[in-house]
Amino acid sequence: MRETRLWSLHLLVIPIIAVLLGLHFAVMHYAPVFYGVSVEEARNFETMIERGRSVAQLVLYILLLAAGLYHGLYGLRGILRELPLTPALAKFVDGGILLFGLFIFALGAYVTWWTFSYKIGG
Amino acid sequence: MNSNSEPTAYNNRLGLKGWIYAGKYTFERYLYLGHRLSGMGLIAYMVLHIIETANRMRGVEAWEGLMALFASWPFKIIEYLLFAAAVFHALNGVRLLLTELGFFLGRPKEPVYPYSSSIKRHRPLTYIVMTLAGLIIILGGSSLFFP
Ligand code: HEM
Ligand code: HEM
Ligand code: HEM
Repeated sequence: MRETRLWSLHLLVIPIIAVLLGLHFAVMHYAPVFYGVSVEEARNFETMIERGRSVAQLVLYILLLAAGLYHGLYGLRGILRELPLTPALAKFVDGGILLFGLFIFALGAYVTWWTFSYKIGG
Repeated sequence: MNSNSEPTAYNNRLGLKGWIYAGKYTFERYLYLGHRLSGMGLIAYMVLHIIETANRMRGVEAWEGLMALFASWPFKIIEYLLFAAAVFHALNGVRLLLTELGFFLGRPKEPVYPYSSSIKRHRPLTYIVMTLAGLIIILGGSSLFFP
């Protein structure tokens, strides 16, 4: 049952990834079309900070972080667990991936928060 | 299948080789390999990307230096490969989702010669999805080669 839930979640986050990665792509690559700024400007420090100060962006990036990392790391876990591992090693893989995921998520979430609370000029 | 959450040592006799070599290949078997490789590429990229974009905390110079680096040719090619992997993974992923939910496999029926397996009945979907992926990858890439 637990494995079934983990796998269902792997599939259920896909729509989130599809929408948010699509948006991310629109912001980064089609900035001239969607925002009327050049691609260079879109990647500018100021522009990035400006974007990052909106609540929407804070929430959406953290969602993308969670969904993307879960989907990707769960996939990686599955790949590793197909190798002939001893039960002890398999447990180690599970724990290692979970810790690694939480760490990267924390870093990404912290950076997103840092951007959100950045004081321009200060 | 064991249904409890105890980690299991699968008897994966072929190990790593089993990913690449599976005796009689079908087209879908190659797609499986591609899905696996692109998935691993994407997660590797995503992790590096989170670490890399954290550089913004080191200030304007650090950030703009990094962005200038990414605007160089080698990185544009890497970016294109990343894009191709993402498009392939996403579209093949849609095919996998449909399959896993039981669509496009046809109804089970008596195995009367000439046999029509669920893989065969599923094949048109495979072609449609991969043609789409190919088109998007080539059209998307045209901006790289013909700016
Ligand atoms: C359609 C597939 C893609 C192709 C063919 C592609 C190709 C390119 C090319 C040719 C450039 C240089 C453009 C220029 O200098 O004006 C570029 C820049 C850029 N792309 Fe993409 N890319 C793709 C996907 C993506 C994705 C998925 C993202 C983000 C999620 C992205 C983000 C960027 C950014 C931020 C730049 C700015 C680079 C700069 O400042 O020069 N691209 N890309
Ligand atoms: C719209 C985007 C995406 C779609 C539709 C998608 C779809 C899928 C599907 C259907 C599977 C197979 C699930 C199963 O059969 O158990 C899968 C596996 C996987 N995905 Fe994605 N995915 C997407 C984006 C991503 C991203 C962004 C990453 C990385 C961060 C990623 C990494 C992986 C990995 C590592 C696997 C495991 C591959 C394997 O077991 O061979 N995917 N994906
Ligand atoms: C060439 C492709 C890409 C480019 C140029 C790009 C560019 C960027 C930039 C400039 C940022 C900083 C935030 C901002 O400016 O708004 C960012 C953040 C982010 N990107 Fe990408 N991106 C690309 C592809 C991807 C992919 C494929 C994924 C997911 C698998 C992804 C996930 C994220 C996440 C989660 C953040 C937020 C990180 C954090 O808050 O620490 N990006 N990206």
